[in-house]
Amino acid sequence: MHHLQIKPGEIGEFVIMPGDPNLCHLIAEHFENPQLVAQNREYVTYTGKYKGLTVSATSTGMGCPSAAIALEELIMSGAKYLIRLGTTGALQKNISLGDIIIPSSAVRLEGTSVEYIPIEFPAIADIDIIDDLVKATQEKNLKPHIGIIMSHDAFYKGSVFAEPDFLKKEQVWIDSNVLSVENESSALFIIGYLRKVKVGSILTAVANHLTREVIIDEEKINPLFHQMTDICLEAFTKKATTLF
Amino acid sequence: MELLQYHIKCRKNEVNQAVLLPGDIERANYIGTNFFRDSEKIIENREFHICNGRYEDKPVAVCSTGIGCMSAAVAIEELTNIGCKYFIRVRTCGSLSSQINPGDIIIATGAVRGDGASKEYIPIEYPAVADYRTVTALRNRAKKDSANYNLGIIRTHDAFYMESPFAFGDYKKRVAIWAEAGTLAIENESSTLFVIGSLKKVQVGAILVAAGNLITGEKGTKDELQKSIDKAITIASGTLVDLQKREEKRI
Repeated sequence: MHHLQIKPGEIGEFVIMPGDPNLCHLIAEHFENPQLVAQNREYVTYTGKYKGLTVSATSTGMGCPSAAIALEELIMSGAKYLIRLGTTGALQKNISLGDIIIPSSAVRLEGTSVEYIPIEFPAIADIDIIDDLVKATQEKNLKPHIGIIMSHDAFYKGSVFAEPDFLKKEQVWIDSNVLSVENESSALFIIGYLRKVKVGSILTAVANHLTREVIIDEEKINPLFHQMTDICLEAFTKKATTLF
Repeated sequence: MELLQYHIKCRKNEVNQAVLLPGDIERANYIGTNFFRDSEKIIENREFHICNGRYEDKPVAVCSTGIGCMSAAVAIEELTNIGCKYFIRVRTCGSLSSQINPGDIIIATGAVRGDGASKEYIPIEYPAVADYRTVTALRNRAKKDSANYNLGIIRTHDAFYMESPFAFGDYKKRVAIWAEAGTLAIENESSTLFVIGSLKKVQVGAILVAAGNLITGEKGTKDELQKSIDKAITIASGTLVDLQKREEKRI
């Protein structure tokens, strides 16, 4: 593949997609016999085994343009069940730092998906992946928030590090019960639906735009990534028996 | 909230909290008469005909919305104002998929916002998504009833005579973009109902029956369709029961 530098057969049907390439190394620690398949630009790919399944982790880089490339090339290489794993900024008061969010769908406030299909088409996560993620999360005695998130392109226009009046622009989404903000899910959901593969997301709130709280410490964030990786891998095992 | 609602002419708690939403007045009466026990007509005003009743061991209701998102939005707004919480759209649609034949059942996960009403509520980037728990409950009921169904995105639009077999000119060309994107079917109310559901935090789902196929031109016979519509009404009514039971368990 042009960007990922992988070939069909080098990845599993089940793929975890973090944004940050460094996270692939962390995720691969959970695989049996992890192999670094390729490393090019912001794209790192590992393949290994989990409870008998062939699983992979591929980073998408930040934002929908690079995430769309990663997803398209993963699908061309045989991926069928893909979960984005990432962090998110909460837009509701009842979401605490460290809470897990499983999106049902996403506001399409990014440019990439509009090149695929007109804006009135909904960006919806695969409902089987939502089911599997909800079950796997509840099995860890955690209660996920399930609902609409927002995906956007300009970090410094919509984050706790943005110009002070950023909340004014986000008020419309806060008022419309959008749970949180991140950068890739909407284009991934759209492309998944168009290409007829399963795509979903699991996110952890590491900031709250209303309270301005934020977690930056690696020591505090890394356990959250390990937790989400565990949930994704267990979600894979739930569908594996019935899907293919 | 004690106010008489402007169009549906009902007050708080006069309509049971779990409501089926057909388009057609006749179908609302048909559901009330043939599917509910202890059916009671609450109101007939304009295109809004409302019946209360019981299904299995739970209170349910049915309210016709008329055709299109404008009157559907009025219905769900006013029903929400008087305490209704669970809504399932049940209606026919036109199939956009060669895999979905007349009489086949569709459970919608979301809808293309080709309507005008939902744009007055929230910018177009916002997804028209069915409530996750309602979709899950619909799927479970369909499975329990051994009913086959298709699951996916549908298209909601406003102008029947632009995108239907009775349309002027080449309607197939107009719908091709949605068919190619894997949109399962076309209908007229779900997108606005889904959007208002998300905004008002009430649970909205939709179960549809393909009346015809817009791509192949195939049409179902009246008897076949009625059988499928009855099946969809049964699944939807059962789902309203399951959603209320689930809520009780949580409390």
